[in-house]
Amino acid sequence: MKRYGLFRFGTLNYALSLLQIQKIKQGLEAYPLPRLPGAVAAVLVDDDQLVPLLDLSWIQKEDLRHEVTKQGYQVLIDSEYGTVALPAEVTGRIVSEQKGTLSEVVTAKEKEFGTVAKFVYQRIEYNILDINFLAIELTQGFWNSRSDTGGARRHQ
Amino acid sequence: MSCNRRLVFRLGRMGFLLELTDVVEVVDQIKNDIDPGRSDMRQGIVSALKFRKSWIPAVDPALILDISSTLRLQDKVAVILRGFEGNWALLVDQADELFAAESFKPCEIPFLLKTSATGFYSQIKLLNQEPVIVFEPERYYGSSAVAV
Repeated sequence: MKRYGLFRFGTLNYALSLLQIQKIKQGLEAYPLPRLPGAVAAVLVDDDQLVPLLDLSWIQKEDLRHEVTKQGYQVLIDSEYGTVALPAEVTGRIVSEQKGTLSEVVTAKEKEFGTVAKFVYQRIEYNILDINFLAIELTQGFWNSRSDTGGARRHQ
Repeated sequence: MSCNRRLVFRLGRMGFLLELTDVVEVVDQIKNDIDPGRSDMRQGIVSALKFRKSWIPAVDPALILDISSTLRLQDKVAVILRGFEGNWALLVDQADELFAAESFKPCEIPFLLKTSATGFYSQIKLLNQEPVIVFEPERYYGSSAVAV
């Protein structure tokens, strides 16, 4: 039975497959290493490893960068390129797929940066994030804003 | 100074680790010994500092690393380093203390951050679970830094 972790950051509700979630930590110290890519807010230390904390406000149209390091939860996720962390409010929960409705993102209009599908649970829509895509895009600078694409949306 | 100890200094909130091999002295009060009029920003020199009756270049690595500091130039601490071309001063926000080399645990820079660190630092260590950057002076002043 597939399960999702459901989280919220700012106005973004997002979902991650439980299989990708390595652990959920609370109140980890965030360190602002110099010269981090623009979409990495800080690094966390977990088990003697550095973990980039991604700034999810890049996939929204909100300026919440200063909020990223203040969130109650940090969700550590396995990506193909190493562990990354996402900020989350302390309202996260884990639900099985059958308790909600899954929908594919099919049209260009619906397509959102780093979102592969939507999961609706209790009438709230959660973006299922493509972590491998986001990890590489947000850390290697490919996300760079373009005036003609309305912010971070490079892939249309 | 003992070679198996390391100096930890801070730029903003970030900690840096410096080998003592090239450290000549740490000067806490520089207010009366700086001349910001003698700068050369192309080489990262923000001021001249009078040290042992000579004027030496003072470099602020926070500018190169894009770290914001609330300290004014005259309130910084100078770490005097021995270089190929003579002494030079590294301006830092705070020089914490000396730690034994064994206090630091090695720590990999994540693959995803390697590109952004390139040219600025190549090693990070953990001191009591806090990441500290191994400061490589040659990246910030001297002939190799100018070439960059």
